[in-house]
Amino acid sequence: MGNAFFVVWRESLEAFLIAGILYAWLQGNDSSGKGKRALYIGLAAGVGLALLLGWALLTVQDELTGNALEAFQIGTLLIAAGLITQMVLWMRKNGRQMKARLHADLAAAAEKSGFFGVAVVAALAVAREGAETVIFLYGMSQEGDYSALIGGALAGFAGAGATAWLAAKSLARLNIALLLRLSSILLLVLASALFVSAIDRLIGAGWLPPMLDPVWDTSMLIDDTTKAGKLVADFSGYRARPALTTLLAWAGYWLLVVIGYRRTRP
Amino acid sequence: MKHTLHSVVFGLFLASTAAIADDMPTFRLLMKDGRIFPETLEVPANTRFRLEVKNEGPGATEFESLELKKELVLAPGVTRTTVFAPMKPGTYKFFDDFHPETGQGRIVAK
Repeated sequence: MGNAFFVVWRESLEAFLIAGILYAWLQGNDSSGKGKRALYIGLAAGVGLALLLGWALLTVQDELTGNALEAFQIGTLLIAAGLITQMVLWMRKNGRQMKARLHADLAAAAEKSGFFGVAVVAALAVAREGAETVIFLYGMSQEGDYSALIGGALAGFAGAGATAWLAAKSLARLNIALLLRLSSILLLVLASALFVSAIDRLIGAGWLPPMLDPVWDTSMLIDDTTKAGKLVADFSGYRARPALTTLLAWAGYWLLVVIGYRRTRP
Repeated sequence: MKHTLHSVVFGLFLASTAAIADDMPTFRLLMKDGRIFPETLEVPANTRFRLEVKNEGPGATEFESLELKKELVLAPGVTRTTVFAPMKPGTYKFFDDFHPETGQGRIVAK
């Protein structure tokens, strides 16, 4: 029961956080309601995708299909990281002018693509970790442990929802400029973590050389093999023993973000 | 010139079939009841090898190691394999992310 709670909470927190931040941002910046609709559609599509991916994970046994699945998962990680980053830059550019533009009815097309991005990001956020939650819950249902399943899972979902709601509420309390900046930073850190995880899995699958591995070992400070350390690693991209390739990818990511940020001065 | 090209192509063909031909050692790992058997897996260092992970359940498991950069989700009753790049001698920890309290193991490359 306690374990079910923790696993479900951790697996669904990312999706809830992304949805919560997007919601808080749309609340402050988009009065048309179109953005929120895009968010809901994305979340619903994500649930469907998670079930589909979960089913694929259940049936895949052989190595070749396993590799294809691995490639697919790495692909979703990369797309999610890229889209979140792009969306943050888009938000930065559109944040302040959006209301004015809505009245002027000028950038309808740009807006549409932006909202489409919101929907895709939400869908990917739910689908990725959702698929693992599906497997986990399926396993518990096989155990016949329904009270733990329902109790733990519901508590986990509720806990993650509450965590994200708290984050979104406290973000919404801030003034718009600070909300924009903080939610941007949170989303970028999350995206960098997804990117690092994709690079690591590319190395793990043998599709990228690790070069020097590890460059250093900081497991004395934060050990990413512990429960709490793993949580830090999942959400920030921290690695106690990073490979040089991972390190370079991480640095490259932030370099590009800083350049993109400078270019999209609102 | 054409002859050289042919032999190069033939050589590449041979090399690729050699890579496909299975001379990789395979190690097996069993996940059961939230535990891992064996908890310490000895493998040869600097050698590519295949790991076959089987989850006998009950419950789903996730073979995971940030150090080894691997993540395999396994529904109960599922077996999945993954290939490891040659490792330097040392100890590498892995765990069952769905049973972090009991499912801890390590690969020792010698």
